[in-house]
Amino acid sequence: MRVKWWLLLGFLAWGIFWSGQALAAEAAAQGGGLPWWAWPVILFVFTFVIGLIAPMSGVGGGVLFVPLSTAFFPFSVDFIRGAGLIMALTSALSSSPELIRKGLANIKVMAPVVCVSMVTSILGGIVGLWITNAFPSGKYYITIALGVVLFIIFVVMLTSKRVEFPEVREQDGLSRALGLSGSWFEPSLDKVVEYRITRLPVGIFFFALVGFIAGMFGLGAGWANVPVLNLLMGAPIKVATSTSMAIIAVNDAAAAWIYVAKGAVLPMIVVPSVVGISIGARIGAKIAVKAKPAFVKYLVMAIMLLAATLNIIKGLKGLHVI
Amino acid sequence: MAKQDVYIDPMNTAFARAMELSTYAGLAVMIVFGILYLLGFSGFVDMKQAIANWHLPVSEFWKEVKGIEIHGYSWFLSHLTSMDALSMVGVCILSLAPLLGLVAALFRSGGQKAFTIFYIILIIEFAFAILKPIILPGVGGH
Repeated sequence: MRVKWWLLLGFLAWGIFWSGQALAAEAAAQGGGLPWWAWPVILFVFTFVIGLIAPMSGVGGGVLFVPLSTAFFPFSVDFIRGAGLIMALTSALSSSPELIRKGLANIKVMAPVVCVSMVTSILGGIVGLWITNAFPSGKYYITIALGVVLFIIFVVMLTSKRVEFPEVREQDGLSRALGLSGSWFEPSLDKVVEYRITRLPVGIFFFALVGFIAGMFGLGAGWANVPVLNLLMGAPIKVATSTSMAIIAVNDAAAAWIYVAKGAVLPMIVVPSVVGISIGARIGAKIAVKAKPAFVKYLVMAIMLLAATLNIIKGLKGLHVI
Repeated sequence: MAKQDVYIDPMNTAFARAMELSTYAGLAVMIVFGILYLLGFSGFVDMKQAIANWHLPVSEFWKEVKGIEIHGYSWFLSHLTSMDALSMVGVCILSLAPLLGLVAALFRSGGQKAFTIFYIILIIEFAFAILKPIILPGVGGH
């Protein structure tokens, strides 16, 4: 049984890199002369495979799509970030309502942090597009910065320890005044679990930082939201991941207008990608129930490390540093 | 406590409902017209030209493909007979979904003044994000 899952996941990883490498080689050989219909098909397959892996690893699809596409595809990083943002937005919008109804996502926790992070997310979107358009070599700096951010995500994933049910002995004054608490029915315990949130002011500072990075690179920010909510603010892991989806929905929707208004969202790239990742994620969510989470986490971390390296090399080559 | 004892604040359920409905509408519009565009129905952007130029930064791409500079939403709103422009309307509905959710939550936040203020701030911020490219087209851009 275990061997079967290793084989399946190995196949998925191979699928991503094969399609990326094949695409890069083909585009280089033909000067981008693939028939027009091949691109939507390739994007669909590529994002379908990402969609299969993403739910098993606990990261959003955007965080895999953006770096891998930047490394392998011929599109400008502007269009990749635009598509990545719409993909992250669609995933968050699709899952949030059900999570809210179950009591897992709490918009009372979301509201104060998003008041700040939405502003920084919009600023991030503006700065990202400005850099690539104002400077001839701006896109290479963005590519290098994306690689560096991926290294940071890799380290966060490597070092962060999730706490299923953190114990909050005392709430800070602000969290208490806002009544930041809630409950949900936990089937594995067969009981209703209650929780309380704490350290809201420090949490708001971190969310501001994360919002800027998410807007700038077109990434969803689940990789950073979840540790802040879980380890810092004391939200149980399920509440943290679910509330993170609601936060991503609001932040990414605000940042998306910047990309739409600049023409950085092309239906030709976005539509096959959204359809591919949506179908892949539905199947991936079913596989995730049986998959070994630790192995999948390490697989995604390996992909990220590779994508980070490739992006930095691509950026440095563009700047003629190497 | 049993499963039915879980209390969900009405603000949460209003937010979820409004966001869910607009997400369905946005996805349907984006995907249906997007697929029609990919199947060869009339489009504002010629696909072959797009492929030949999509390696360029976004501002140069539009200069090469359509000979225009893009600031705001008129590039697709003034071409609503084209399938790709209609697909963009779907993207806009999706991007409006959280705003509609916040408006719905605002109307259910009675008695919780702090959250009424948070939602008003968020709605203003969101509206600014939408209107900024129209009212301040050069700020933060190139």
